[in-house]
Amino acid sequence: MRIKLMIPCLVEDCLPEIGLAVVSVLERLGLGVDHPRVQTCCGQMAFKTGDVARARALALRSLDIFAGTGPVICPSGSCTKMLRTYPELFEPGSPEHARALDLAGRTFEFCAFVLTLPGAPDFGARLNARAALHRSCQLDGSEAPQRLMEAVRGLTLLEPERPERCCGFGGLFSLQFPAVSESLLEDKAHELLALEPDLLISAEPSCLMNIGGYLARLGRPVRALHAAQVLDLGLTGGASWS
Amino acid sequence: MVLNSSFTPRNFCEQSEKASHDATLRAVLDHATRYFMAKRGAALNAFADRETHFARARSARLTALSRLPELLEQLEQNATRAGTQVHWATDAAEARAIITGIAQGCGAKVVVKGKSMVTEEIALNPALEATGPDGIEVWETDLGEFIVQLAGEPPSHIIAPAIHKSRADVAALFREKLGLAALDDGTSIPELTLLARRALREKFLAADLGVTGVNIAVAETGSLILVENEGNIRMSTTCPPVHVAVMSLEKVAATLEDAADVLRVLPRSATGQKMSSYVSVLTGPRRANEPNVENDGAREAHLVILDNGRSEVLSDPLLREALLCFRCGACLNSCPVYQTIGGHAYGSVYSGPIGALLSSLLLPAKDTRDLPFGCTLCGACKKTCPLSIDHPKLMLRLRERVCAGRPGFASAAHTFLALHPLAYRLAVGAARAVDPNLDLLPRLPGLPSGVAQFADTRQLPELKRCFSAQLRDDRKNQGRKNQGRKKEGRKKQGGA
Repeated sequence: MRIKLMIPCLVEDCLPEIGLAVVSVLERLGLGVDHPRVQTCCGQMAFKTGDVARARALALRSLDIFAGTGPVICPSGSCTKMLRTYPELFEPGSPEHARALDLAGRTFEFCAFVLTLPGAPDFGARLNARAALHRSCQLDGSEAPQRLMEAVRGLTLLEPERPERCCGFGGLFSLQFPAVSESLLEDKAHELLALEPDLLISAEPSCLMNIGGYLARLGRPVRALHAAQVLDLGLTGGASWS
Repeated sequence: MVLNSSFTPRNFCEQSEKASHDATLRAVLDHATRYFMAKRGAALNAFADRETHFARARSARLTALSRLPELLEQLEQNATRAGTQVHWATDAAEARAIITGIAQGCGAKVVVKGKSMVTEEIALNPALEATGPDGIEVWETDLGEFIVQLAGEPPSHIIAPAIHKSRADVAALFREKLGLAALDDGTSIPELTLLARRALREKFLAADLGVTGVNIAVAETGSLILVENEGNIRMSTTCPPVHVAVMSLEKVAATLEDAADVLRVLPRSATGQKMSSYVSVLTGPRRANEPNVENDGAREAHLVILDNGRSEVLSDPLLREALLCFRCGACLNSCPVYQTIGGHAYGSVYSGPIGALLSSLLLPAKDTRDLPFGCTLCGACKKTCPLSIDHPKLMLRLRERVCAGRPGFASAAHTFLALHPLAYRLAVGAARAVDPNLDLLPRLPGLPSGVAQFADTRQLPELKRCFSAQLRDDRKNQGRKNQGRKKEGRKKQGGA
């Protein structure tokens, strides 16, 4: 099977290692990975600021980029959700609406998709570490990251007191309400640090950037990894952090 | 955080910032919201067929909204038949005029009130206090409302008005306002409650008029249902000779059965109780001359049905969903933003997720621009709401209204570049060449001031060689290796 890779803009330029890990894991699991070029942004930022017209324009770009058949895999819950929201941006009955419905139906968050592959959830990955899992509200309560990570041998998975509580990022929220955002982040960091983890794991790149960046500023850096990176490390050589 | 009259939803950003810096407030809110959530969780865990009951409650509320004009007419007819005088108020000013008129008509000097958000919405208390030559004495009789009234503050939570006050705050307040000089900060909650009870008992006995809200108005019987835990609403509706109930028009239920469906869910979701300690079903004033009917209660009963912008909200097929809300307050307790800033920061009567929606819908648009943006779209509210109100979706629709095609600089710039991939790559490439660690970013002109604060508290990610380029390189190397292997393979085959 061949899949198309949807890479969030944050991953493209700031966290490319997440994208590379996704490719590595998917290929290792026997999939052909296509990365359609000239991807920019799924339109989430425009959509969430209320700029629906421009979100629609970006959605049209995505409809072209991911045209065709086969699953579209994205290592971010919020971008996946945006692609699945495209049908709401078009008039029901229009050709764009039909294309948006088709794309929404074959778009999957990375962890949820990997769980559907033969051999899931235990692909033989091993990584010796104490890891704090941040579930991320943007994954809408999906258990997929947790199920995947639980199957990694040697990994002690720890959950903070309020696992699904928002880390305070919220995109532009963190710029318009920086103090409130920071308070939420402070709570989150406090609950995560209480677990004394070697690693911070999430399936949402923006949360990783937000929490990881805060812990670094705090002088308590914890390596922040996407679930795909954990699998990649676990499949290639059994690294250890403990 | 000290509350003053300058608190309006216009200053939501500044007020929320200030509130989030108030460590005491955060600690009190953290404790209280956790307490509510835990109690609620336990009650819902023990609630068999929970989802079915939620669906029935939602269905009752949907029926109310979809048949609203007809049901309100029916309510008016049946309430009138039961002896209740029904009044219609288009807006807050009309409602105030009606109620102060009733107060003057019965020569009221003292008014006791049951906890009611809608009377907060219409700012009834100041209007009553300014009625007549000497003004009318108004007493909030719900303990929490009594506390915030003494403090001169509005309520900060839909069902727990004084949620932002600690026990010591309340002791200090009673010491000052109730003339109890000997009261120390360590006074227990039951003792404080008893003191409030004593103070209020006199007011009930002296009251000429009782004013309450309405939880559910039953169209088929003309009955008003009120739920509470302190007995003060029952006192407010039975002690004074005249009772005025104020309802926002969406609070109707078609039948008693629909009302029961709502009642099965409301207390569980609000306070984690199977049922509130008191549920009053009032159908008209006392009927002293009729045999075999209950002959207690107010001699004169009024119902004020308030629109105040709701009919207009109803005409929007998506946003009308906000009017399903029966004010259990659970979305406030579950919201990380509310947990951090409390209710006053919102600067309007209704706070938290549902408050941001209602205020945006009911108040002038120019005053509420920031409210739908003070939300991380985490969805905790939607997940908590027993009526399945999709707050985040409504929040996004309101953002669309506010944005009106003119997004802020950061979003507009990002979108422009995203629509022009070549410009996007050039811009990121240039930024990476000049400032890969984004050290200069916070100082760029035109960006929201929050960027600097963001960068101050989080190490920003660095701009790296992009994923597309790295993947291209990897694949090239892979290709070369594969070709190399093929050549080697052929050589070996040739040699054999």
